[in-house]
Amino acid sequence: MRTAIEAVVLALLLSAASAPALAQGDAKRGEYLAKAGGCLGCHTEDKKEAVAYAGGRALKTPFGTFYGPNITPHSQAGIGRWTEAEFMRAMRHGRRPDGANYFPAFPYPSFTGITDGDLRDLWAYLRTLPQSSQVSREHDLGFFYRWRFLVTIWKWFFFTPGPFVNAPGVSEAINRGAYLVQALGHCGECHTPRNFLGGPKKGRFLAGGKGPEGTDVSNLTPTGLKKWGDKDLQDFLTTGLTPDGDVPAEAMGEVIRNTTSQLTPRDLAALIAYLRSLPPLPD
Amino acid sequence: MNKKLISAFVALSVGGAAGSALEALAQAKPDVLVKQRQAVMTLQGKYYGPMAAMAAGKAPYNAAAVQRNAGFLDNLSRMAWDGFDPSTKGEKSRALSAIFENKAKFDDAAGRLENETSRLAAVSMKGDEAAVKAQIQAVGKTCGACHQDFRSK
Repeated sequence: MRTAIEAVVLALLLSAASAPALAQGDAKRGEYLAKAGGCLGCHTEDKKEAVAYAGGRALKTPFGTFYGPNITPHSQAGIGRWTEAEFMRAMRHGRRPDGANYFPAFPYPSFTGITDGDLRDLWAYLRTLPQSSQVSREHDLGFFYRWRFLVTIWKWFFFTPGPFVNAPGVSEAINRGAYLVQALGHCGECHTPRNFLGGPKKGRFLAGGKGPEGTDVSNLTPTGLKKWGDKDLQDFLTTGLTPDGDVPAEAMGEVIRNTTSQLTPRDLAALIAYLRSLPPLPD
Repeated sequence: MNKKLISAFVALSVGGAAGSALEALAQAKPDVLVKQRQAVMTLQGKYYGPMAAMAAGKAPYNAAAVQRNAGFLDNLSRMAWDGFDPSTKGEKSRALSAIFENKAKFDDAAGRLENETSRLAAVSMKGDEAAVKAQIQAVGKTCGACHQDFRSK
């Protein structure tokens, strides 16, 4: 009798513990995370009548032009046939369902830090998108860069998979900001300069320089932000306007419209607090 | 000499004088040209900023202020371009050399701004607040698009 009760209690405990892990993601939360992740920018064409998340945006890099694919749940043109596990592997490990590597133009070196729970919510949200039959465009890459297997070597050098871990001895807000900046927001993909192999220069994290498309990007460490008050930064990241009415380059303008202006005031404050906590690096 | 001929001659010489005055203006020193075009950009920010704040819902909408600012901006948007003279290439500024290397693209970007600001001036005269706000944002996008290609950080 006693063992039977124990077994029942144990079973209940186990199911309670594993329930959250098995639960369906929350699409509503996922929608917010998709904004915080700036998915729209690369996965939507740059024209007025473009269908959201149907792909087609060009990213012109020194290695060639990448086109963001259709990530709507269309079974042929989009990712409708994927499983949640395949989505999570794509985001965490940069692998396609067929096992091939993604080029790191897809910022999985950042997205790998997204927590399992957030990935599930994102996936749940993506499933709710209207399907688009728009066929994803092939990347147009330089001869040498077309071989996906070479990405294996790239990953070996520059890619550390695994979810974000809170830094010890740091405030909750700064850790939240770090997660938003490093993982979801993937700010470093543009704001950290790259070496000739397209790998991020680790010692220059968020220090600015040349962005992936060869244009100048700002230093986000305290050196670059010293003239900005918290209020200035908040206003800039919500309205896209500096205190003197100046407008940033459109690449950032879009990030502000799609992402930073959509963050809750608390998340935005956390993001700014984290940037303030970075080691100052020279321009 | 008949009167018509005299007036034609006078008109020609006045026109010639005006033409050379314009030429003289265009020959301002490179550092002065840079200062002037930067002044235009500064003023564009002055008049664009409050409108963008209204469009973003950060400031209360004021139709009269928008009308005034949109009018100023429409004029300003045509003033900076002749300051990007090739003679200014070596001057210290945030202007990228792409301006001179890809003049057609730069002129195109300039034209886009002029179009959007004149559209804003026109739409600000009518009462449709949503349309005005959308057009304010369209102006901002053209500012940013040009900064993307032709201005360093």
